[in-house]
Amino acid sequence: MWRHCLLSGTVLWLAAAAPASAFMAFVSNEKGNTVSVIDTDSWTVTKTIKVGQRPRGIEFTRDGKFVMVAVGDDDTIQVIDAKKQEVVDTLPSGPDPELFTQDAAGKIMYVANENDNTVTVIDLEKRARIGDVQVGVEPEGMTISPDGKILINTSETTNMAHFIDTSTRQIVANVLVDARPRFAEFKHDGSELWVSSEIGGTVSIVDPVKHVVTGKVSFNIPGLRSEAIQPVGIGMTKDDKTAFVALGPANRIAVVDAVNHKVTKYLLVGQRVWHMAFTPDEKYLLVTNGVSNDVSVIDVAAQKVIKTIQVGELPWGVTIAPQ
Amino acid sequence: MIGRIAIGALLAVASTGVACAADPRYPNWPCAQAKVPEISLAAVWAGPPLDDVQDKWKEDPKISALVEKLAARRTPLDDAQKAITDFLAASAADKTTAGKLLFAGLFDSLNAQRSSVMNGIERVSRKQREAAEKIRADTLALQALQNASSPDQAKVDELGNTLLWETRIFEDRQRVVRFVCEVPTTIDQRLFALGRTIQQEME
Repeated sequence: MWRHCLLSGTVLWLAAAAPASAFMAFVSNEKGNTVSVIDTDSWTVTKTIKVGQRPRGIEFTRDGKFVMVAVGDDDTIQVIDAKKQEVVDTLPSGPDPELFTQDAAGKIMYVANENDNTVTVIDLEKRARIGDVQVGVEPEGMTISPDGKILINTSETTNMAHFIDTSTRQIVANVLVDARPRFAEFKHDGSELWVSSEIGGTVSIVDPVKHVVTGKVSFNIPGLRSEAIQPVGIGMTKDDKTAFVALGPANRIAVVDAVNHKVTKYLLVGQRVWHMAFTPDEKYLLVTNGVSNDVSVIDVAAQKVIKTIQVGELPWGVTIAPQ
Repeated sequence: MIGRIAIGALLAVASTGVACAADPRYPNWPCAQAKVPEISLAAVWAGPPLDDVQDKWKEDPKISALVEKLAARRTPLDDAQKAITDFLAASAADKTTAGKLLFAGLFDSLNAQRSSVMNGIERVSRKQREAAEKIRADTLALQALQNASSPDQAKVDELGNTLLWETRIFEDRQRVVRFVCEVPTTIDQRLFALGRTIQQEME
């Protein structure tokens, strides 16, 4: 993989920014209470790190030095040193943290706490809690707008996407979507917000300025009952032209034309596919398969599954080191 | 004496021992894992349609022998996947048909294996319920014997002993059920992994 980077003129700048090695992907294993480290050159698990109870949300810090993982049953967020590949610190959160997001600068982190209907705001430099935002019942999906002004939080029970002003930390709008919204993702140009609904079986396209649902992506797989189609994770290419949506127990990733919102292809990956992450060069997309305990690697350009890697028990989330 | 010590424990077993079914459609299903009666083809197969192959895999002795070997859980998954790769590489000319037949066979066999495991789990669950009722009744009978104005110690000991054995068998079975509940998922995982290998080899 790295050889390819060196040979390719367009990504030559990567060589200056990073040592001569492949990317590293960190996968949280919800039942195994571990984080698997995958080398994207050999596509093998190079290390399994013991973490707290029930690791789910997982993300690199913007500088690529640390990996943060929400360990829900321990009511905290653990910090893994990416080089040492061991837990070095913890961050405060509310009870049962599941997912979190950071601002573009990587200074502020927002954590959805499933159990007390709040979003905790953490100063990442000081590693301290600096506030809370009251949101809907059972906060789940979290994302931040590209300009950093609006934080989105989806609520499982009220079926809403809450728009939170990051400067005042007040909810400025609520948009009703389909049942059990799980994940939210902005287009990179900020023109659309996509929200997946696990029970509704759809992805709602929301106008982030007018705060209305302007369209919906629906899924249909012949021979599969509609209740087996449960959209969760969403990945959008940097050009905002193609989106990938994980469909849970349908065991498939839907490839969606992000311009006309139509599905162009379904890729069979692993059992109960949940979340995903692109490699920084966007050549590959890694998706976690909870029941088959593996990670599938998708060749983004070819839209094909090229590899399956066994990880720990019940893989949930995945994050890949930025360059 | 035996009876008196055991009573508290026995009552606890009898009242909480049999797990309550979570899904009202399947009252005898004791597992924490949701009961999914059948694996649907589309959940595990994105290859070409299998309508034209149906039961034909049974007519091909080579394929039916391979299906039997691959479906057996004692065959390690890695070995099974390698056997698929070797078999399909050898049938280069008609790889698609061979792959379809092989998967159709695995789908039928593993689904059948799974159904029989699930039926077994439900049968044990029903028996456990009956056993729990028997333990409850015997416990009450023992209490009555002990509370008599002049207890017949021989009878108390005998019933106490019976109860101890009944409880032991009951608890052993409960442990087995918890273990066996994992089996349908193990079969799901196996079918999916084998199907994925076949599809990759067919591409």
